[in-house]
Amino acid sequence: MPDPTAESQTAAAGKINASSPAGAPRIGVYVCECGGNIGETVRCEQVANALGKLANVTIARHYQFMCSDPGQKLITDDITEKGVNRVVVGACSLFLHEQTFRKTVERAGLNPYLYYHIGLREQDSWVHHECPADATAKAIRMMSAGIAKARLMQPLAPVHLDADQRVLVIGGGVAGLRAALSIARRGLPVTLIEKSHFLGGHVAQWEHLFPTDEDAAALLEGLIEEVIAESKITIYTGAEVVSTKGYVGNFDIRIRVQPRGVAKDFAAVDQAIAACPVQVPDEFNFGLTQRKAIYQPYVGCYPASPVIDREHCTRCNECLRVGQNGGIRLDEPPVEIDLKVGAVVVATGFRPYEPFAGEMGYGEFPEVITLPQLERLLATNDRLEWNARPVRRLAMIHCVGSRQIEGMHAPQPDGKVNDYCSRVCCTATLSAANRIHTRFPNVTIYDVYQDIRTYGRGHEDYYVRACKNGVTFLRHLPEEIPEVIRSEKGAEYPLLVKVKDRLTWGEEIELPVDLVVLSVGIMPSPISDLVDMLKIAPGNDRFLLEVHPKLRPVETAVAGVVLAGTAQGPMTVQESCAAAEAAATKVAVLLSRGKVELEPYVAQVDPERCQGVGECVCVCPQEGAIHLETRIENGKMLRRAVVTAANCNGCGVCVSVCPSRAIDVQGWRLDGFEAMVEAITAETPALEGVA
Amino acid sequence: MAADRLQVDTIVIGGGIAGMQAALDLADQGYRVALVEKNPSVGGKMIGLSKVFPTLDCCSCITTPKMAAVAYHDNIDLLTYSEVQSVSRNEQGFVVQVLKKPRYVIDDACTGCRSCELVCPLDLPDDANEFGRTAHRVIYVPFTTAVPQKALIDIDQCVFCGKCLQACPSDAIDFSQLPAFLEIQARSIILATGYQVTRYDAKKQYGAGKLRNVIDGLMMERLLAPTGPYGRVLRPSDGKQPASIAYVQCAGSRDETLGVPYCSRVCCMYAIKQAMLLSGMLPLADITIYYMDIRTFGKGYEQFYRSAQAMGITFVKGKVARITEDADQNPTVRVELIDDHSQVVERKHDLVVLSVGMLPGGDPQALYGVPTSEDGFVRIPNYNVAPATTTQEGVFATGTAIGPMDIVDSIVTASAAAAEVSAYLQSHYAAGSLTDAERSLIHA
Ligand SMILES: Cc1cc2nc3c(=O)[nH]c(=O)nc-3n(C[C@H](O)[C@H](O)[C@H](O)COP(=O)(O)OP(=O)(O)OC[C@H]3O[C@@H](n4cnc5c(N)ncnc54)[C@H](O)[C@@H]3O)c2cc1C
Ligand SMILES: Cc1cc2nc3c(=O)[nH]c(=O)nc-3n(C[C@H](O)[C@H](O)[C@H](O)COP(=O)(O)OP(=O)(O)OC[C@H]3O[C@@H](n4cnc5c(N)ncnc54)[C@H](O)[C@@H]3O)c2cc1C
Ligand code: SF4
Repeated sequence: MPDPTAESQTAAAGKINASSPAGAPRIGVYVCECGGNIGETVRCEQVANALGKLANVTIARHYQFMCSDPGQKLITDDITEKGVNRVVVGACSLFLHEQTFRKTVERAGLNPYLYYHIGLREQDSWVHHECPADATAKAIRMMSAGIAKARLMQPLAPVHLDADQRVLVIGGGVAGLRAALSIARRGLPVTLIEKSHFLGGHVAQWEHLFPTDEDAAALLEGLIEEVIAESKITIYTGAEVVSTKGYVGNFDIRIRVQPRGVAKDFAAVDQAIAACPVQVPDEFNFGLTQRKAIYQPYVGCYPASPVIDREHCTRCNECLRVGQNGGIRLDEPPVEIDLKVGAVVVATGFRPYEPFAGEMGYGEFPEVITLPQLERLLATNDRLEWNARPVRRLAMIHCVGSRQIEGMHAPQPDGKVNDYCSRVCCTATLSAANRIHTRFPNVTIYDVYQDIRTYGRGHEDYYVRACKNGVTFLRHLPEEIPEVIRSEKGAEYPLLVKVKDRLTWGEEIELPVDLVVLSVGIMPSPISDLVDMLKIAPGNDRFLLEVHPKLRPVETAVAGVVLAGTAQGPMTVQESCAAAEAAATKVAVLLSRGKVELEPYVAQVDPERCQGVGECVCVCPQEGAIHLETRIENGKMLRRAVVTAANCNGCGVCVSVCPSRAIDVQGWRLDGFEAMVEAITAETPALEGVA
Repeated sequence: MAADRLQVDTIVIGGGIAGMQAALDLADQGYRVALVEKNPSVGGKMIGLSKVFPTLDCCSCITTPKMAAVAYHDNIDLLTYSEVQSVSRNEQGFVVQVLKKPRYVIDDACTGCRSCELVCPLDLPDDANEFGRTAHRVIYVPFTTAVPQKALIDIDQCVFCGKCLQACPSDAIDFSQLPAFLEIQARSIILATGYQVTRYDAKKQYGAGKLRNVIDGLMMERLLAPTGPYGRVLRPSDGKQPASIAYVQCAGSRDETLGVPYCSRVCCMYAIKQAMLLSGMLPLADITIYYMDIRTFGKGYEQFYRSAQAMGITFVKGKVARITEDADQNPTVRVELIDDHSQVVERKHDLVVLSVGMLPGGDPQALYGVPTSEDGFVRIPNYNVAPATTTQEGVFATGTAIGPMDIVDSIVTASAAAAEVSAYLQSHYAAGSLTDAERSLIHA
């Protein structure tokens, strides 16, 4: 069995391995039915028969699943037995199976770039399934274009480059921490940057975590301890990416680190905090309390030293007057650091949905809070009180800011509603309800929901327990949104929740309560700058988009940039950690050999034709991809364009401006395009008798 | 292929999507992996599905390339039709004894040409793949996309007529083959033993499996698959195309009486998916889904649910109390319509699909000393932070072995298991338990 890695390594040394096609092209053509995805629309047998008649086609076949082992075997057998030296596959999309078929032809000893893929599914059968005859004719044209190109294809070798093994992890929540730990333990150095001044992300704000009921602080402390103990991890807090350059294996990333303003060994922490006269809402408690401009978010945070919030600090110097001199510096400038990394893990997490003013009484009535606020309320108080009054009855309303319906819910500033389920809020709500019941058994709890989605391992238990704990469930239809209104003056309870309850025959029920808790959904952190810098893409739901949920579930379309945790979509802690570890694995596969492989689709200059005009250098958008070199040949000074393959991304702009047609992109040469266009537009004899 | 002794970094038990993914992720990093599958082909449950949510890719397009990849990977030894007999610990990790069941066909010789199938005179119901709806010969390649593409003989049913011996162009048939034993020295173990569906005949109220036109979700997957028995959807009793199809959700999950109190996590989505595929194939059919809660929680899943509603699939909130049949074997569903003043009605359908749930695929206690939780799935002590690490050092678990989950989550947790295993292996190699030469392999 040939070793694919060994093969491509020899290729890297400049030698093209295996069967540079000797003599005339012998093309193998394979039409995949893709189960029924293609075969139910395109008459694949007819396509194969028609194509079999074209020049240089040695064999044309159709098969139910070309990507399966028997399908691949058809190809390898034809290569070894029938001398096929170019392969054209018409199947699903290139994204799905280019790598699959490259490996197949390589296994049979053929250069992997002597295979060409035609997307018969996305570009033909799926869009024309109403008209099989036309779709069949189109398939023939598309495939004959592929064959025309295949006649001209030459063996190519991927570009091999040394890769930086360091990995940048962006975000210090559980996902970022877990990713950093796994990558470091695999043996690769990691730089972890966290935008805020403290590690831990949202988990630091929760009390007990479902489904294990474990102490969130203890979980986080354990994880952070392991991360700190790992010598391969460098951590920067208060740090953000400011610019990025490069590509997989060779990213140049600049980060900016904001100073803490307080020395590590500063001892007079409490005095300094007490001295600070500034009061701002404490984001750690979601605005339930106030904090100073010099602050620590919570006891046991990491790093433990406080930080100065530059935005709100008035430079009054009160804190400087206490304790040691020199422990506090108010005007330290930020530091910029350049990192060379091979891959980037994006673990920037989520933010809770912020209800708009008046949404279910939020912002209108002080007795309406969010679930995250309730969590902080429970964590910081021994009694369940609101506005200094005991809470006797409480209503929790699910799906606020999730599962929204266009036309019914107000859109976000980008014009879109949150039409997705936030996945964690159902169990988080029931977990809070059960904890309230345990600590304050006399509190009456109403749970207003559409569907209870306690889907995960151990989650259903929270639902069962809530039922046993006497939580009253009321179910409404999506289009019958509950209302929160002020009770009449003098009423015993300040608020009324109006629900059309489907569990009691659709009756309109009014629940008088002391407190309403909105189970708000999850939205991605605001990271549009980072998204632009890394050239990755958010999906329709604004969360970062993976290449394919099953084939490449944590990779982005940019090689070397992977996703971890809730930056990709709502997840629990367990799911965030699993995704983070999957990201670590993908990074390890990329970088553990210290080399990366890039596509050979780079510009190539024909020195015979090149006149040294330099138009190409002017238009090239990639720094360092093409330049002019002067050399003396036969006593004459010659200027010639030279390509640096590692920096070229094969966009082909240079090809279009070269006055002497001296440049081509390898693998995508102009003559290939011309042949394809000709084949598509030709009165192909192969089409006879089809349409 | 495998020698009598094998030394690997990891042995993966179970060749479903999770086991294959974990094996590939480790092998791609240079670790040596043995992948042990008890069935004659890898692919697990997934290879038998139709199209898969949420993308509606044809499942073969996702599974078969991975099946081929594990078969051809230089760092993977694939052992199909094999079972672990015993496991013990030594200095280097684990000594695992594997039994290779006889196929009565010589692996290396068989080319999968299927000439033998043409001459074999006996048909057997294909219970393993098609619930007995189709047949295969006594000598057979398990299914079209099986990996490896090698025949095997159901020796108990064979009449030794010898026709296959004559027909085989590669002299691959060997009636005297014996079980082979293989000893694998492995540094670590990954359990990817997957799931079984809850029994569709378990519930008396739903006919205890006796109603002919009541089938389960997996059976429907086969009817919908392009590789399925009929190439279209026909109901069992009379081969009629059903005009009215009903799904009964949580038939086997969230049901204390069946000992399955938990949610099986995939059934809402697969029922919706099947309903969508059905309404494509049978545009005139009425499709109803009876549910308690619709749990379309994953990325893109809620939108999937909405599309199904827009396609005209009817969702009815209500727990089905009983299913009976009429004289024409039409199943009748007795249900309380919660959204319609909780009236109790009886509704007749042509075909009823029970959305059965997931049970663990095996018990790892006896062989691996790995305890399970109350739900029967592998216990993961540090569930939130190290989701693949079991209570036994060096033993990891992934995919549906650690709880119900869909393919996306199975693949992600498999890659996560690979991360935990590679960290574990690195800590050993760093501690010097490998020679330099061996270690250099890892960083080759
Ligand atoms: C009310 C509520 C209760 C919950 N309870 C539970 C529970 O009981 N059990 C459970 O399993 N899950 C629970 N969850 C879900 C849990 O909080 C998440 O799974 C978890 O926090 C996700 O971790 P993360 O690292 O992906 O994101 P985060 O926790 O959001 O962390 C992301 C980090 O990235 C940083 N960051 C953001 N942008 C940048 C940038 N540009 N540069 C650098 N750093 C950046 C942030 O400051 C933050 O520290 C709950 C969620 C909610 C809303
Ligand atoms: C009706 C139905 C429809 C579904 N549709 C979808 C869908 O559309 N989309 C989606 O994402 N998910 C779907 N799923 C879920 C999907 O099937 C699972 O998520 C996935 O197959 C789990 O893969 P696995 O590898 O964990 O388990 P399995 O597929 O069960 O694989 C386990 C493997 O291990 C082998 N094995 C077990 N024990 C041993 C042993 N002791 N020794 C050796 N080998 C062993 C088994 O033979 C098997 O090959 C569906 C499930 C059902 C029931
Ligand atoms: S998890 Fe529950 S509360 Fe949250 S959006 Fe989904 S259904 Fe609504």
